[in-house]
Amino acid sequence: MLVSFNLVMALAAVPAALLARRVGPGRAAAVGLAVFAGAGLACGLADSLTTLIVARCIQALGGALAVTAALELLPATVGSEQRAATVWAAAGATGAALGPALGGLLTELVSWQSIFLLQVPVALIAAVPILAVAKHEAATGIVSTELRRTGRPHLWANLALAMVSAAIAAALFLLVLLLIEGWRLSPIEAALVVTVMPLAALLGGRLAELVAAARPRAAAGAILVSGGLAGLAFLPKATIVLTIPPQVLVGIGLALVLSALTETALGGRAPQAIHGGWTISARHAGVVIGLLVLTPIFTHEIEQQRHDAINAGTAVILDSPVNPLLKLSLAEKVSQRLGEEKGKVPTIGPAFEPLPEDPGERSEVQQLQGELQDQLDRGATHAFSTSFILAALLGLIALFPIALSKEVEL
Amino acid sequence: MNGAQGERGSNRGLLLVIGSVVVSLILVGAYLAAGGSSYTPEKVQDPCKPRPWSNPQSLGEIANQFTVSALDGAACKLGVSREALARALATPEGRERFKQKYDITDAKLAKAVRAGLVRAVDDAEEAGALSPLIAGPLRETVQRIPLKQAIEFINDAESFLGNANGLLGTAQGLLEEFLP
Repeated sequence: MLVSFNLVMALAAVPAALLARRVGPGRAAAVGLAVFAGAGLACGLADSLTTLIVARCIQALGGALAVTAALELLPATVGSEQRAATVWAAAGATGAALGPALGGLLTELVSWQSIFLLQVPVALIAAVPILAVAKHEAATGIVSTELRRTGRPHLWANLALAMVSAAIAAALFLLVLLLIEGWRLSPIEAALVVTVMPLAALLGGRLAELVAAARPRAAAGAILVSGGLAGLAFLPKATIVLTIPPQVLVGIGLALVLSALTETALGGRAPQAIHGGWTISARHAGVVIGLLVLTPIFTHEIEQQRHDAINAGTAVILDSPVNPLLKLSLAEKVSQRLGEEKGKVPTIGPAFEPLPEDPGERSEVQQLQGELQDQLDRGATHAFSTSFILAALLGLIALFPIALSKEVEL
Repeated sequence: MNGAQGERGSNRGLLLVIGSVVVSLILVGAYLAAGGSSYTPEKVQDPCKPRPWSNPQSLGEIANQFTVSALDGAACKLGVSREALARALATPEGRERFKQKYDITDAKLAKAVRAGLVRAVDDAEEAGALSPLIAGPLRETVQRIPLKQAIEFINDAESFLGNANGLLGTAQGLLEEFLP
């Protein structure tokens, strides 16, 4: 379910771009948006997981058609192919940064279905101006028959895009999971915390304007994404404030690297839609690979952490000065609570209730509770470290294809 | 693009890359210096290794260490961790789950819990927390008591030791009264 949308996007982007070239970008974009909106409605009304997955896959088909066709339509609006590539790339980077925060907010404020239902009017509104282009294409039969050679896709830029996308997907996905499952934040709180990334991405966009050359922007972006991920891997405490600096780095980095690599992949190549299709394909393939590789690793780590936490919790209780009768009962209640919350780190408080009436004993128990909760929170944070480190490595490895990529002026 | 512009652009690019490396290293370095990689989960200790007693003053402190020693002794005998055994002894349901998981019979558990109590008495005597006068009879007693009572002794060591001390006090009183 998690990767179905990305998998279909990765597979369908290039064929969708070819189709957009054949039938005309206006008609392709209009049909793509209509399919995207219809499938979004089906996702929002889905009554089973199978329906949701199927609808999501259809939505990816519509999305692939609309996004690649949009790249063909943009030059007429923004003035040049180069400008179109920049705007298109920046839009992609902003979407990647904004998605999780917006999704979390909608899930908590309304419902998860609202994420899909909101896409319906947005897609339909976007389709209105495109309909005029589509009508013109239908009336005149003019479909761009540009004879420039399609050429091979930019291998190194697309490879780097795939690697960096895997790292960024991991950053967004793992951080949200850490906040909700590990630190027990509500989805809305987690969404608010991760808004740091899109805000920083805006700053990254400004920074990108100062450096014309794509390769240093891509390299700097990949380094910042990796640095931010390494920061998340080595959080010294389970505190929200400490996630902000790494998020700023990831946000700025993703804005720099995604746009620079997309521009490089499109540079000097035509038709834009097809090469845009390759970049979409590379990015979503990266997301799929990143999640498929990292999900089993952190799932195993969390399970291991839960096991360690039960033993560590019991050891802390047994070695505490609390009276034996109370400590054995606490050990049992705490392990039961940890067992109930599979894959999640619980608030340990309820296991300590009711607190003893004797003030001295109550203070001992409260101190024990704090110590135990700290152990559990640090354990949960640690459980994500390996995955964050691997994601950071992916970002660093992307520096090789970035170094090998050659920039070509449009 | 003329040469000067190109050079300026190239310098900016280089600065951006160097800046990114520096900022990333500062962040990671600061987090590591603040203990970002120091977390290791609390390790479960080998229950067969002796766990030294601190200098217990009150009956509560003695009972606390007595319980831990008894759990260590029983866990060592069963080949499980002290923590797993402690969770099992808290409730009858926990005990059943434990017995199933480790394939342990009631008789084996009883033997182990009694062995644990003997170790606790030994440790208490060695630490000077229990008089040899009472340690001997206690050792004899705990080797014969049924499982349920043995578990109660571990769970409520304070009452158990309190009663034992009370008996000792009574015995001493009687001795003082009848002996010259």
